[in-house]
Amino acid sequence: MRPEEAAARLVREEGARVLATLVRVTGDIDLAQDAVQDAVVRALERWPRDGVPPDPRAWLTVTAKRRAIDVIRREVRRPGKEVEAMSLRDPVPEPPEVVRDDLLRLVFTCCHPALSAEAQVALALRALGGLSTAEVARALLVPEATMAKRLTRAKQKIAQAHIPYRVPAAEELPSRLRGVAATIYLIFNEGYAAGAGEDLVRVGLSDEAIRLARLLAELMPDEPTVLGLLALLVLSDSRRPARIDDLGRPVLLPDQDRSRWDAALIKEGVELVGAALRLAPRPDPYVVQAAIAACHALAPSYAATDWDAIISWYDVLLTVHDTPVVHLNRAAAVAERDGPAAGLVLVDAIAGLTSYPWWHATRAELLHRLGRTAEARTAYERALAFDMNAPQVAHLRRRLAELPQ
Amino acid sequence: MPTYIALTYTAEVDWTRPEYADGVREYTAFKEAHEAVLLGGRALYPTATATTVRVPGGKGGEPIISDGPYAETKEALTGFYLMECADLDEALAVAARIPAAWYGTVEVRAVHPPLEP
Repeated sequence: MRPEEAAARLVREEGARVLATLVRVTGDIDLAQDAVQDAVVRALERWPRDGVPPDPRAWLTVTAKRRAIDVIRREVRRPGKEVEAMSLRDPVPEPPEVVRDDLLRLVFTCCHPALSAEAQVALALRALGGLSTAEVARALLVPEATMAKRLTRAKQKIAQAHIPYRVPAAEELPSRLRGVAATIYLIFNEGYAAGAGEDLVRVGLSDEAIRLARLLAELMPDEPTVLGLLALLVLSDSRRPARIDDLGRPVLLPDQDRSRWDAALIKEGVELVGAALRLAPRPDPYVVQAAIAACHALAPSYAATDWDAIISWYDVLLTVHDTPVVHLNRAAAVAERDGPAAGLVLVDAIAGLTSYPWWHATRAELLHRLGRTAEARTAYERALAFDMNAPQVAHLRRRLAELPQ
Repeated sequence: MPTYIALTYTAEVDWTRPEYADGVREYTAFKEAHEAVLLGGRALYPTATATTVRVPGGKGGEPIISDGPYAETKEALTGFYLMECADLDEALAVAARIPAAWYGTVEVRAVHPPLEP
């Protein structure tokens, strides 16, 4: 690796931690970002030339603090600037547990429920993931100016509404952690659903989400929700190499070449599921979903999948996360075990999914297998009337074309 | 400490009617339990008493007075509390105890410090 690349990687790895500390000592996300940006620029200039300092994080933190002091001194109108500048002058480097707490504070502030989901996603990628505003905008397919505005508004709300910079108290922690997990999962899905064919840029989002989940697991290694989230993401991602055939067409789970699945990620995911299950006092939605993903990952073939186990896990999931979509997924598993007629009865009994394309698509598939051609055709057409990404549309069109005339 | 206003949006209530006595007791209990953070707060008379004023001509122009609230909605602005809290989390925790949050919606907004020219 060239020294420039090594420096860039190191800076990105340490960036979120340095930012988190600066947010705490300055109490101002904008100022902290400016100061860290300045330190990063200096590091990228100097490190390749003079070598990387023995403690890169401490170097970046001290440099960023110096910059923050300069900015505060210049800003006449900032109230209480002397006090702030004093706390910045502390020359002792932050001990690791303080840096860890700073980073957790930043996680919970970026994913505060008072911020909209899209603001949380943007902040998580920008502040925690260390992407530039332009990179975040590209990944989420919005114009850079829109993303800049979104980030500014979110930071304004944090400052003006006084969204706190702290780790939630024990009694709030489970629900707040689920909020953080939901944001990271949303980022993963944005990338995962995009497939790999036409928008490779968005696939980067899956990697970013896994990176954030790993960071969270490092910070909170005893939280089942966190381990479950990371397990779910790596197990889903383990199938990525098999999701697209050599011609760039999507391959659904039953037809995937399982030898192309990433064995290392499967091993990691399955071990995480085990650890999370041992820690969880009661079922956690992310752990249970990861357990379902693990059942698929461990099956030697689609036909040899342990549908009994999967259906049981769906029953557990319904006790803590009772949604129509979970019922739909359970019905699809029942169809694999007991046949399309049994599955269709369950699918038809789910209320409230008529505007969900996969409800129509699942009905279409089961009607297709039952030879109820006309009804299947209608159901495929209903599913195709919704906005779906290109690989999904391609799959449904192919199945529709396979119906007997 | 930042100041917040909690605006309560609920169905309209005539608090003087005897059937709302329990409701009044709930609000009183809320007020007593959170005296430490509450700077003040009141129920509003129903929106039937609301009047809106606009001066479309701008400063010095002719005011247009009209009967009714700013927006006709099923849940109306029916009251407010001013409170001083450490941060948004504390303000939201207090707001969740306002009976209006159980029957309607409470909007929490940070109050700007006094503006100086």
